[in-house]
Amino acid sequence: MIGNDIVDIAEAKLKSNWQRPRFLDKLFTLKEQLIIKNSENSFYMVWRLWSMKEAAYKLYTQLNPSRFYNPKAFECKIEDTNGIVSYKGFSCYIKTKITSNYILSEARLKENRMTSELTSFDSMDSKYQSESLKINLIDRLSKTYNISTSKLKFSKSNFGIPTVNINSKTINVSLSHHGNFGAFAFTIPV
Amino acid sequence: MKNEKLITKLKAIVAPYIQNEDAFKNLSEDTDFVNDLQINSANLVDIILDVEDEFDIRLENEDMEKMLDVKSTMAIINTKLLAK
Repeated sequence: MIGNDIVDIAEAKLKSNWQRPRFLDKLFTLKEQLIIKNSENSFYMVWRLWSMKEAAYKLYTQLNPSRFYNPKAFECKIEDTNGIVSYKGFSCYIKTKITSNYILSEARLKENRMTSELTSFDSMDSKYQSESLKINLIDRLSKTYNISTSKLKFSKSNFGIPTVNINSKTINVSLSHHGNFGAFAFTIPV
Repeated sequence: MKNEKLITKLKAIVAPYIQNEDAFKNLSEDTDFVNDLQINSANLVDIILDVEDEFDIRLENEDMEKMLDVKSTMAIINTKLLAK
């Protein structure tokens, strides 16, 4: 089980306005709003917390197949580059990588290093990005398992949760794209 | 509010965020914001805030939970408008 989420800094500046009225209150708890307010760079903190919530949601829905939109209910705690996100009785560990171009978060049930692999796109077309990210993931899995790409079957459940099947084994995967960047991650089946 | 009028208003609200023109042209009650219109999840909150402004309503977390497609969004708006 794994969830990841990428935020393109330039895209977030261009396509979102975190300072619009009621924006913060819709997405963040009062504690999180305080963290944002007291942060040296509030813009970065907004998108860092957002990527944590999204990564955690993707992991949560792998465990509990469902689809909903309730980012505020995923409560974040931050420590250095780590974080913990809780939702109802569920909680997970988050690693976050922050650069001047993007913020990348990865959620796991047990603490782990960041494994997400980055792709930068030469086209902003959303469909093209999803497809090429999928191809990159399949190529990577093909190399990792030394298995032909034709043996790797990518699919999405009714809830939109992606997996890759190799013969009878299921690999949990997570894909994310935003602006010019994409990232994929996968878990090695036991 | 009549469904046709509501769908026209909703179409104008989502327009700035869509990433799939064909799905947008054919927007219907069955259209999904993320799967069909390819709206980035980071922009769903903008749609919710725009809906609040346009209809002068306030949406709670429970309302937002289901606002992933046109049909549910229309249902929530109508409920809120009736309660006004």
